[in-house]
Amino acid sequence: MARLPNVRLDLSNRPENVLLVRETLTGLAEAVGLDAGELSDVRTAAAEACNNVVLHAYSGEEGPLEVEIDVGEGCLRLVVRDRGVGMAQDVLSSANGENGIGLPVIAALAHRVDFGETAGGGSEIRMEFETPSVRELAPAPGEGFELAPFAEIGNAGTATVSVAPAPLARAIVPRLLAVLAARAHFSTDRISDTQLLGDAIVAHAAEALSGSHLGLTVAVEPRALEVSVGPLIPGRAAGLIRQAELDELGLLLQKLADRHELVSAGSHEMLKLHLLDQR
Amino acid sequence: MIASVEAKPRARTSALPRTSDDPVELFARWQQHGDTAARAALVQRFMPLARSLARRYDRSSEPYEDLMQVASLGLLKALDRFDPDRGPSFASFAIPTILGEMRRYFRDSGWSLHVPRGDKERALKVRDAQETFANEHGHAPTVSQLSQYLELDPETVIDALLAIQAYESLSLDAPRPGGEDDAITYGDTVGDEDGRYELIELDATIVGVLDRLPQREREILRMRFVEELTQTQIASRVGVSQMQVSRLLRRSLDQLRSLTQDEEQAG
Repeated sequence: MARLPNVRLDLSNRPENVLLVRETLTGLAEAVGLDAGELSDVRTAAAEACNNVVLHAYSGEEGPLEVEIDVGEGCLRLVVRDRGVGMAQDVLSSANGENGIGLPVIAALAHRVDFGETAGGGSEIRMEFETPSVRELAPAPGEGFELAPFAEIGNAGTATVSVAPAPLARAIVPRLLAVLAARAHFSTDRISDTQLLGDAIVAHAAEALSGSHLGLTVAVEPRALEVSVGPLIPGRAAGLIRQAELDELGLLLQKLADRHELVSAGSHEMLKLHLLDQR
Repeated sequence: MIASVEAKPRARTSALPRTSDDPVELFARWQQHGDTAARAALVQRFMPLARSLARRYDRSSEPYEDLMQVASLGLLKALDRFDPDRGPSFASFAIPTILGEMRRYFRDSGWSLHVPRGDKERALKVRDAQETFANEHGHAPTVSQLSQYLELDPETVIDALLAIQAYESLSLDAPRPGGEDDAITYGDTVGDEDGRYELIELDATIVGVLDRLPQREREILRMRFVEELTQTQIASRVGVSQMQVSRLLRRSLDQLRSLTQDEEQAG
């Protein structure tokens, strides 16, 4: 089986979601030691490709924006994908107006750019960046690679991130949760609490995960976040909760989240945490 | 002559000879004859491209004017070097040239080695605004409230909030004047019956580990998770910013986790 990317984001093509991609890359840079110049290049190129999906992939409708990031030996690989009309290359390279700038910008910043089609007729842009200081970051072996099988993928109001290994999750997950908490109109108090929750999830979920990747699906409502953690091994999720009642993490999880529940998702379990900002 | 100018209202570059606005000819006039009017016409024509690149390039910490200056320099270089006979369109030649100029400029100036000053200043502004707002309203602001207050876009505020935690060198640790650092006692931190019960449980499970943290970190953890104060309430009690409380909580929870792990591994 082909190696899964270190990070996968399943978003909708709303303009505000480009920020999630940028913040993911910033967190990743922290974890893998990308310097600020390299990070700027990657973020700029990623933003060009994502904005293209935002503006052109669905002719004004809403649809999936998928981003995959893989950390290789001395390189970063990025895929930006849509399930839309499959005209990424045409739009990015068309000579008229600002649309035509996208591809030359990406080509100037990335070491290599390829275009492909997705099964449903959408398109993908694959970019490779030379980042000499970066070492390969393989997801933990064993257990089998499996991305979070979230039913909500593509649901416009939710964002899903799947990430491995743990050091990468540690740098990315709290950051993304903070951005989403800000979007839910949380106060800075609760934004910070949400980061603490992210830290706790990353620190303690490893033993309960059923695959190599930690997955989080976050639904954003006004003053409310619903964070689904998984996929978890059946039984382990309950164990996590039981354990949560015994050690200090349990107290943390209970106090940072307003309530939690276990949800069965196919052959897996999910831990659903609800956070509110009741000021 | 005047009449002929007026008869062509679209010829906005009336200061230039109206021989041609064909880029190929303009390039020939500039590159082969040093015709600065032709260069000016080319600059005017392609400046939107440079501007667009300056805006797109992800250097949010740099003032836009600086980016524009470097992009313009790149544009001038591209005008000198472009070969209309060989290359494809000027834009596809100019874009990498301009971006290359911007990347080189920032790398040469050591930008990538330091946290840009603009970032730090903005982080401090966001921190101060957060405190001012919390003092005035009795609760912490949202990002959109901060962004209105500071007239910064929300994404910039979020970036600053996230960056603050990374700045160890900002002296965020220093207690503020008027802080109640000395006034905190153990008794203050024990609340009602429930609070006391949970405190015991907390102590029972990580006995010895919590005690290895500095006093202030311990107190802040107790205030947040036993008394269940908000971070803003803790900030005003201890006399630091809420951002600082946030950072201390993250750091000390992190330390607790690795201490606990060490204990478990030690048997």
